[in-house]
Amino acid sequence: MLLLVCITLFFYAAALSLATGTRLHSETLLINAEYFVPFLVWLIGTLVVQRNIRRKLPNRDPWIFPATTGLTGLGMLTIWRLSPDLGLKQSLWFLVGCGFFLLALNTTDLIKILKTYKYVWLLLGIILIGLTFIIGVNPTGSGQRLWLEIFDFYIQPSEPLKLLLIIYLAGFFADQIRPNISWLGSVFPTLIVVGFAGLLLIAQRDLGTASLFVSLYILMLTVTTQRRRLLWVIPALAVLAGTIGYFAFDVVRTRVDIWLNPWLDTSGNAWQLAQAQIAIGSGGLTGTGPGLGSPQFVPIAVSDFIFTAIGEELGLLGTSAVLLLLLLLVVRGIKIAIASKTTFGRYLAFGISAYFALQSTFIIGGNLGLLPLTGVTLPFLSYGGSSLVTNIIAVLLLLRISTETSAQDLPHKLSTPYYWVAGIFVIIFLLISAWNGYLAFPNQQELIARAENPRWAVYDRYSPRGEIYALSGEKLVEVRGEPGSYELWVNQPRLSNTLGYAHPLYGQSGLQSSQYALVRGYAGVTYEERWQHELLYNQPPPGLDIKLNINLALQKRADELLGNHKGAVVLVNAQTGEIYAMASHPSFNANTIAENWDRLMQRTDAPLLNRATQGSYPLGTLANTLAYGSLVESKHAFDLGTAEDFYRLDPFCYRAMQNAGSSLNAFQFGCSSVSELILNSTNPANLQADLEAFGLFSAPELAIETAQPSPALSIDQLDADPLSVMSINVSPVQMAMVAASITNNGMRPAPNLVNSYFTPEGNWQALGPNKAAVVVLSESLAEEIQGELHAKTQSIWYQTGHALINQEEPLTWFIGGTTPEWSATPLAIAIAIEENAPELAMKIGNTLLSLSVSN
Amino acid sequence: MNAITGLVLRTLLFISLYAFLGTAVWLLWKSVTGSRLRGGTIAIPTLTLATTIDGEQNIQTFTSSDVLVGRNPDCDLVLDDETVSGRHGRLTYHLNQWWYEDLKSTNGSWLDDLKIEEPIVVKDNDSIYCGDAVFKIYIKPLQ
Repeated sequence: MLLLVCITLFFYAAALSLATGTRLHSETLLINAEYFVPFLVWLIGTLVVQRNIRRKLPNRDPWIFPATTGLTGLGMLTIWRLSPDLGLKQSLWFLVGCGFFLLALNTTDLIKILKTYKYVWLLLGIILIGLTFIIGVNPTGSGQRLWLEIFDFYIQPSEPLKLLLIIYLAGFFADQIRPNISWLGSVFPTLIVVGFAGLLLIAQRDLGTASLFVSLYILMLTVTTQRRRLLWVIPALAVLAGTIGYFAFDVVRTRVDIWLNPWLDTSGNAWQLAQAQIAIGSGGLTGTGPGLGSPQFVPIAVSDFIFTAIGEELGLLGTSAVLLLLLLLVVRGIKIAIASKTTFGRYLAFGISAYFALQSTFIIGGNLGLLPLTGVTLPFLSYGGSSLVTNIIAVLLLLRISTETSAQDLPHKLSTPYYWVAGIFVIIFLLISAWNGYLAFPNQQELIARAENPRWAVYDRYSPRGEIYALSGEKLVEVRGEPGSYELWVNQPRLSNTLGYAHPLYGQSGLQSSQYALVRGYAGVTYEERWQHELLYNQPPPGLDIKLNINLALQKRADELLGNHKGAVVLVNAQTGEIYAMASHPSFNANTIAENWDRLMQRTDAPLLNRATQGSYPLGTLANTLAYGSLVESKHAFDLGTAEDFYRLDPFCYRAMQNAGSSLNAFQFGCSSVSELILNSTNPANLQADLEAFGLFSAPELAIETAQPSPALSIDQLDADPLSVMSINVSPVQMAMVAASITNNGMRPAPNLVNSYFTPEGNWQALGPNKAAVVVLSESLAEEIQGELHAKTQSIWYQTGHALINQEEPLTWFIGGTTPEWSATPLAIAIAIEENAPELAMKIGNTLLSLSVSN
Repeated sequence: MNAITGLVLRTLLFISLYAFLGTAVWLLWKSVTGSRLRGGTIAIPTLTLATTIDGEQNIQTFTSSDVLVGRNPDCDLVLDDETVSGRHGRLTYHLNQWWYEDLKSTNGSWLDDLKIEEPIVVKDNDSIYCGDAVFKIYIKPLQ
């Protein structure tokens, strides 16, 4: 049997040693031999111990040792994989444990000594705990001081105390003559001792170990007093203590809160638990493969959360094996108890088995979110010297007791509680396994897709993301570096707001986030290829390149013209909705996002925001153009009269126009007096229908994130307050589409940023919008508006508009487009500048629209 | 190459891991069912029951695990006495012990002075009173 365990662990070590090479897609065998160090340490320790127990304990239980040494070896290798430093320490502790094992094996009257001096052991344990109050330390430097430091090694006295307490309880109960068990004489003393130890631990804030003690005590009381009803005390006490603790201890409150709602606070307290569940989900049925997963994303994976580390890399098959091995140990342990010759041996074996079972239940249940998290170790597997040595000694005790079997079986009545406890643990382990299966399988996709899952950042280093091109052919984003250290590099940093960043700490934005499926290799590739990559390397295949409709020359010109002004420019093809340029200022540089993160977050001018798509600006006097159609439809007309008439009507706007040196009329310039005139005389039903058709109340279907659309205004609202139109919030890209519909004879196209992607077969596959153009205005009406807004010299139309952001900051709008005399591609533009700058807006608009002539 | 070798190793890892667990579960199962079978056939200590009715000694030896006691002729141990019910009591062997239980007889069963209300464990040299009849139990321990 031991041979199979050795073979299993050898394969585990060998698979781990190949992991680095596999991740790098190495063609030749790349062996990282360090994993054979813990394997050899384990092998030597195990073989020496095995030789000795074969000689000394020939009649021992045949399962306990292979099962426990297997779990220990699995733990050592997993710890080494997570942290070679701690792995080395754990290997040393394993040798120390083997030393203690052999020492105890050669002590002939061990069981007798334990029983006789039970009070000494108890006192020793309590003194050790007491010492932590005086000279306790925490290896991490802060937090609960539960450890004692001896020559750079840390000992957690609560671990041996568990075993010492079991020895004391077994010894004490074995001394009581059963038929005369009296609550006062036989139970009360133990109650005091357990209560005292519990209080010490509560004072230490080691609540996990304290609740373990209490549960263990009740289980032992159940079998010694033969009262099955006592089992109900555990859940009852748990609820009671949980409620009291909830209000008395902050630790308990946060633990219970995150247990009830692990997904509410995933960036704070519940991070660990959320990551643990994601790790189990990433593992799935067979795991990512040893060394190929990212179990380090779960904090403290080496000790408290080693179960999830195994779950990620060995999958449900691995965790089920761990659960089965633990269950095997527990069931055999209880069987040893039933068959034991002496009462002390029986109680001791039962106590040890119950201790393994309870502790495993506590921590695995906590890892999987079934129970509130208690920081106890997973027996044999977790990193921790005191725990490992204690467990190894406990195994030795079980083995010794198993050799002293009684000729007669325990009477039926006496053995019933043991069967009960064993049955309960079988059910608990089955439940845990079922929940584990649910997380790993039906719930897997949901867990992997969660925003809290950072595994893509690891994939990006080993399997390149797709690159991003401009329509004009230039590479906007490229992948640099070697396998294992691939990095995204943005060649046009000014486009960062659109292209986005992908940083393990700060997440993903822009196209990197919205086109994740394509650039990360999840979409556009065949199922077989994905499956093959994930099976062999636990990585998605290389991502697909995508091409944007951006024209780099136009884009650069737009950025240049906008300069240091806050605002956005969107230039589109009026017919197809293809976005030729999209500028948003202030901008940031995606290549230096990590260095500048704090500064970027502190800035008040929101440089990370893509103002072109996510900017939400009041419509203001652009309402002129938008309402003009409905004005005509509702058979109204308006006349501003002569310049003198207008001066009398709106002297402020008149002066503003004069200052801007503009030759525009008040309608084109966007005077608010004109807006008021138009809005007040238009039919609300027509106006509402037009605003809806222009797409002001619906988010544009774009490949990147857009602002929330304004809620639709009802006809009644418009009737009551027609001027409310001016405070509808719209984004520049929405206004570009309004401009496009006027330019495109009243047909509104859908905006289109991503042109195509490069298929694995080697051709560009178009990625058009899946929406046809919408009729907004009649062709004649569109022409009439163009005519009203026609420029004097160029074959373009435009209007400027004005608004106040939050009733205080000035905003200048510009929308415009080419007119039918234009012979090339029809263009439309929207500009928003967060200052009062109509001249600048007109300059940018007129330049970009005329530039495209030569294009 | 590297990845394929890794995959093969992973597969072998699971095979040997579950080979171990499978063997463990199988052997455990066999030991559980095996001991139950043994309990039913081989490992029963021989039960000898001695009755004295009308001064006549009657000694019977049983190797089965279930012995029915009563006045009915189809009982394993027939006690021909008016105070004995048709199916008076039963001796069964389980959990390595012989147990006697009263089958709701009219006049009850007694172990010396103790009225037998629920199944009790009987040992060598015990006497069971069924009404006015009595039988003595001899159990030959297993070798």
